[in-house]
Amino acid sequence: MATILIVEDEIPINELIKRNLQAVGHTCISVLDGSAAIHELSQREIDLVLLDIMLPEMDGYEIFRQIRGTPAIFLTAKSSLSDKVKGLTLGADDYLVKPFEMLELLARIDAVLRRTKKTSKTFELDGVKIDFESRQLFLHDHPVEYTPKEFDLLEVLVNNRNIALSREKLLELAWGYDYVGDTRTVDVHIQKLRKKLDMDSRIKTVYKMGYRLEV
Amino acid sequence: MKYRTFLTTLALFLFSFNLGIVIISITAFKDTIHRAQERSLDEHYFITSALLQDFHAVEGRGTDLDSSIPSLLQPYSYLAGDQNVTLGLFKDKELVYSNSSVLSVPNGFLELPGDGSRLVSIQESGDRASVLVSGKLPAPYDLYTMVYLYDITDGIAAWKQMKNMLFFAGLIVSVLFAFGLHLLLYKLFKPLSQISQTSRQIAAGAYDTRLPVSGQDELTEMAQSFNHMAKEIQNQIQQLATAAQQKQQFIDNFAHELRTPLTTIYGYAEYIQKVARTEDDKLFATTYIMSESRRLQQIAYRLLDLATLRENKIERKTVEIKQLFLGVEQALSLMAAKQNVQITSECHFDSLECDSDLMHILLVNFVDNALKACGANGHIKMVAFLNHGQKTVMVEDNGKGMSGEHLLHITEAFYRVDLARTRNGGGAGLGLTLCKQIADSHGAELTFSSEPGMGTKATIIFPAENRNEWNQKAKILQ
Repeated sequence: MATILIVEDEIPINELIKRNLQAVGHTCISVLDGSAAIHELSQREIDLVLLDIMLPEMDGYEIFRQIRGTPAIFLTAKSSLSDKVKGLTLGADDYLVKPFEMLELLARIDAVLRRTKKTSKTFELDGVKIDFESRQLFLHDHPVEYTPKEFDLLEVLVNNRNIALSREKLLELAWGYDYVGDTRTVDVHIQKLRKKLDMDSRIKTVYKMGYRLEV
Repeated sequence: MKYRTFLTTLALFLFSFNLGIVIISITAFKDTIHRAQERSLDEHYFITSALLQDFHAVEGRGTDLDSSIPSLLQPYSYLAGDQNVTLGLFKDKELVYSNSSVLSVPNGFLELPGDGSRLVSIQESGDRASVLVSGKLPAPYDLYTMVYLYDITDGIAAWKQMKNMLFFAGLIVSVLFAFGLHLLLYKLFKPLSQISQTSRQIAAGAYDTRLPVSGQDELTEMAQSFNHMAKEIQNQIQQLATAAQQKQQFIDNFAHELRTPLTTIYGYAEYIQKVARTEDDKLFATTYIMSESRRLQQIAYRLLDLATLRENKIERKTVEIKQLFLGVEQALSLMAAKQNVQITSECHFDSLECDSDLMHILLVNFVDNALKACGANGHIKMVAFLNHGQKTVMVEDNGKGMSGEHLLHITEAFYRVDLARTRNGGGAGLGLTLCKQIADSHGAELTFSSEPGMGTKATIIFPAENRNEWNQKAKILQ
């Protein structure tokens, strides 16, 4: 997965983002201000920067001007249109207003990483190998038959691994907003995935919540 | 209004002026005719009486009357020349003499009563007008009728010319009058249109528009009061705008203050629900949820304090300054010890008239802020002294200080010296707002002076000890 730099001066929020990103497999570096951010960027390869705008001494826009080239998403409490426009015209890849849902942040990070070709094209776990580009599934190097929806569901689970997803959320993410169906469809597909990929111990049922792919 | 006045005045003027001209014309006309008639009658009488004497003389000589008439009337033929007079003598409706080749007389004028009365009339033939006088000669010559015709065409022409002249002059006078009237009204109404224009501008938002003030009349006075009104409006609008801006700033800041802890609380709750697997993860998340909830609670309490202070009266008592300082030191000693900050105090007067609880809150806030500014190994000094007879309490630190720009705003709610509004120092951002309110309710003045890197001085200056005045001031402020 990707290496992500979090620039946020509110320690609780910084910590929260870091924990969530680490859960889905990203490598995270937390910094509290601009100079530390610039220092980190000069030290190592960073795939994406999450930038708060209101920071002590040097604001997010200024930091962004200095780190040109690294993809960035602005995270801010400023929700006015002019602020958004300013952020995006500067060349930011996305703009997210606090308070945001973690799943939304993850989805946007995925979108940016896909554009900048930093997403992993394959995923391996316990002899299961998923090739996202050619949409192929292998179990112990033997191809596995699957339906398109099963693959979509698996992709959602992998991208949000270690995060419990409700049945409704899974329907929304794998089937789409406009899908009108029973949440039991999700249960049926999960059962099939568990069986086909021998993932009973990995795809966990979370009590009264939904499912979680635990890695 | 201007045009109505203009039109009404002009119409009235034109009506009376032209009426005058018409009256003059008619009078002049009547006069002309009257004089022509008088003259004709006189001449007629003169000729008739002369002729009568001649008739008597001719008859006395026994000469035939009819044959001698032409020679008798010959002397009057001069009248026919430039005098425009035609004479005619009729005998029983037959013309026996005329000094003109053309003489037309309406028949009625020859049938006259024999009592010597004469008929006068205006006769028009073609484009010429004449006064016609006819009268019978007295008996025994009453067969003869004398007709006197006086041409007045020239007189009427002269009158017509005069009338035309009058109307022409009248026209010129009217135009001049209209022009003058217009100028006068323009000058009279100009201030009014200026006022309406200025009012419109003010209504449209240009509050700094003023009327020009010149001269020493009623209009000047009105312009002055108008300008005064405009100034008052501008002031009040300014105050409203400032108040609205402050309120908006407060709401914006308040929303931001709420948003950050709420984001954190929601985020960690979501984390527990969806991500956390170990007890350690859950403990970690709940710690943040609790600390952020406490922050919200603190904001709520402070807002409540502000509201209570706004409504309740303060209880003034005589408070020992030493006691007050001791209380503050005790309240913050733990924190000061942790940061290794030294708190000292100095008293140059003994007691103070104030609400001891509120004054305690104020000083704790001052010292708390000083502690945040100091970092480790700082020094904070509380001093009570008399400054020009006014009791003054000052809290001085040697911390990081701040720039003048920040000093102007630090008593505003949620204002943070740090642009990023970090909470590393903690607090709700309402401390100094509360202090300001406490100072206001005591009628005291808050001042701050600071220099970046040199430390900050927070001072509260109490009004001079005149209890009555003090109470009044406090009452007004409440």
